Amino acid sequence: MAIKTTSFASGGDGGRAVAGEKKGFRLNAFTGLIAGGLGYLFGHWMGNAIAGGYQQVIGSGQNDIAILLGFIFGTIGWFLGLGILNYPLKKMAGIEPPLEGYEFEPGVMKYFRFTLDNKVVGIQYLFGMLFYFFTAGLLALGIRTELLSPTNHIWGPATYLEIVGEHGTMMMMMMTSVVMGPFGNYLVPLMIGSKRVAFPRLEAAAFWFTPAAYIILLSALWQGGFQSGWTGYAPLSIQQGVGQDAYLFSFALLGFSMITSSINMTATIINYRAPGMRWSRLPMIAWGMITVAFTMLLSVPILIDGLYVMGLDRSVQTAMLYAGHGGSSFLWENLFWFFGHPEVYLLALPGFGLTMEILPVFARKPLFGYRTAVTGMVGVAVLSFFVWQHHLFQSGMNPDMRPLFMLTTELISIPTGFIYLVGLGTLWRARMRFDVPMLFMLAVFFNFLFGGITGVYVSDVPVNVTVHGSYFVMAHFHYTIMGQLIFAVMGAIYYYAPLYFGVKLNEKWGKIHFWTMFIAFNSTFLPLFALGLLGMPRRVFEYAARLQHLNQWVTVSSYVLGLSLAFFVVTFVWQLAVTRPKSPLNPWQSRGLEWQVGYPIPPGNFDKIPVILSGPYEYGDPNALPVADLTPAEPSAVGVSSGGEI
Amino acid sequence: MSKGARAGAVLVSFAVGIALILYGIFGYLRSSPAVVSAVPSASQPNSVNLIMQVDGAVGVGPHPNWVGYWVQDASGVWHQTTLVKVPVNTNVHVTVYEYDSGGALRNAVWSQVAGVQGGTVTLNGTSLRVINPSLTTGNGIAHTIVVPGLGIQVPLYGVGASAKNFCATGPCNTSEAHTVTKFSFFSGNQTHKYRWQCFVPCGLGYLNGNGGPMTTLGYMGGFIEVVGK
Repeated sequence: MAIKTTSFASGGDGGRAVAGEKKGFRLNAFTGLIAGGLGYLFGHWMGNAIAGGYQQVIGSGQNDIAILLGFIFGTIGWFLGLGILNYPLKKMAGIEPPLEGYEFEPGVMKYFRFTLDNKVVGIQYLFGMLFYFFTAGLLALGIRTELLSPTNHIWGPATYLEIVGEHGTMMMMMMTSVVMGPFGNYLVPLMIGSKRVAFPRLEAAAFWFTPAAYIILLSALWQGGFQSGWTGYAPLSIQQGVGQDAYLFSFALLGFSMITSSINMTATIINYRAPGMRWSRLPMIAWGMITVAFTMLLSVPILIDGLYVMGLDRSVQTAMLYAGHGGSSFLWENLFWFFGHPEVYLLALPGFGLTMEILPVFARKPLFGYRTAVTGMVGVAVLSFFVWQHHLFQSGMNPDMRPLFMLTTELISIPTGFIYLVGLGTLWRARMRFDVPMLFMLAVFFNFLFGGITGVYVSDVPVNVTVHGSYFVMAHFHYTIMGQLIFAVMGAIYYYAPLYFGVKLNEKWGKIHFWTMFIAFNSTFLPLFALGLLGMPRRVFEYAARLQHLNQWVTVSSYVLGLSLAFFVVTFVWQLAVTRPKSPLNPWQSRGLEWQVGYPIPPGNFDKIPVILSGPYEYGDPNALPVADLTPAEPSAVGVSSGGEI
Repeated sequence: MSKGARAGAVLVSFAVGIALILYGIFGYLRSSPAVVSAVPSASQPNSVNLIMQVDGAVGVGPHPNWVGYWVQDASGVWHQTTLVKVPVNTNVHVTVYEYDSGGALRNAVWSQVAGVQGGTVTLNGTSLRVINPSLTTGNGIAHTIVVPGLGIQVPLYGVGASAKNFCATGPCNTSEAHTVTKFSFFSGNQTHKYRWQCFVPCGLGYLNGNGGPMTTLGYMGGFIEVVGK
């Protein structure tokens, strides 16, 4: 059934210029910063006026109400200063607002504004995510520098824990959007043949939550940090200074970002597919996005609920998480991990989506077992909701529950195995091209083997008893997240740079980046398994002297890893901003619909809604139809179809 | 914009970014309280004196109402810190002026004295192996000095919270209500950096007292660094 939309009144042309719209000064990130700062001051003042005389505040010298109100009003100011609230506020006032943010705008200023073009939002996300990732990466180097010696210290113990907490939180909360943000928003409408996303305002707002969350989270370092780490366990999270308020508020903001982004992604993929874009032709990135979006929609509200409870305990002295006052720290642990473990998979699934998308292009073969891969993704997403208590095996939970969660956790290796085997099947007897994106995708498989197999071990209760809280677990999840997700993202950046920027990144520099990153990554994280088995616990800045040599090896390797990533940053920015090596159209000879529209991609993505003729992975089949008819003789509709069969 | 201008803009951006990172590291994260060195006298090269006071509110810095330590340097100047250096192979004679009020202990283990020379401390001139919180006027234990790496544990007896001349904010002086605890320990025969910490929850205003000053360097935890002579 076709769902028709009006041609423009609701913004349906997906980014064309608005004729006759008034030009001139427009709100942007800088006005947002000013308004955000003023909002923070107002909220802080209000909090002091309300709670400045409370005994708790006088005794501790700490007014959490003022801090949290500052963050709330600061965020409202940020959104007002960016102009994000103009449209709904005017609508509520009965004024028909102009469709600001749709017009095509040359130059770089559009990247600092609230915009409704999915491609601009994708690029905003790309640079935002890279910025957050490298900030957290620098913090990781701070951690490793401290661990050069068990006795000589670079940081104080509290500062060390602040850095660990900042690194973990920034990586785990920000990187949830590292694929959906830059790649989902940019590519999904192009891949499904849509002129726009379903809810462009939500999509854009989802991005603008992230700088606010980043600034607030980083500000914790200047407010005494939070030594609870990224898991924020009570009672430590209740006892902490105001840095913990920054943790809970920034995490909640990212939660809202994930929810809004997921609503948009789900609605877009379900409703905005071009004619002929059957579910069985949906690109793997889109499958990755929709499975992740559903997972986020069901899990993130639980996290926000938990953070809200933490905020109440800290600010108005409720006692929900603190056992000493009648609450339960188990409540937080369960609320947190009900989000936290699906989160691990919502980091992994998009990485697999990217990998499945790119592998066939360089293998020049169809994706082996498309339906198996989709089943694997859906299976992982569903099972991810039934494993969270494996994080609590050592917490004093009901021991009778442990076998159940051990079983469900081990079961998840089956759909994960589907995806892995589909990748290997795609490579089987392929005449591979070892370009830089392909090297990164192959590394994904190599790295994930370590992360995945050790995951089966740590889900086993007897092994978990031994390695819980050790560097073994840390090595495991760094292999699954950095070894899989970040390598996939790096490969995708090299792969999609011609589509995003019209620039083909230098192959030689890319290979230098890849090999140094691949070797240094493994040299950094592989010894951590050994360190964990030798008894090194996480989150300590002093450790047994006998472990110093291994730690020094790891630290030096991490410096090489940091240099490799710095090399990427310098060469990437240099090529985009200075040398701009022009790329031919579709340099990888991809069948993907997104590559068929040329460069630069018009603001509305397609002149006409295309008609999809075949799947995107029919490589090597001489009888395969083109992926789509971009200029169908009979326009299907002004709007879009719900993916009906043709 | 010309290629040269773009290159310049990129280089300036990188320089600004690096400057911000360095400022973040050295301007904030690497900042720490002062370090006070205990130095031996010419006549007694194998011993040093370390004089400290504990105040209910340190009176200075970013958290003036937090409980914390002041340490006196060789010239008699007080510094608000918990970082001290002592020489290796040296007897360290510690004097602690306690100006904070105390309370009951949740675990009697913390009333024991351990790891000091003779196994005793002198509290207001009386030699003791155990500091009972209900000793004399029942002021309770205010804090403990615990150095796990050296096996040292010393409870510090508090002053009465209702004392007329109670020191409200530091640095305090001996005309105000206080107790005096003295003990000695050997710094060991190797250089090392020993962590020390108060193990009695004492952060007023924090649940269980474990937040704020209890987790912050310069207040209720610090380092004793044993350095070469």
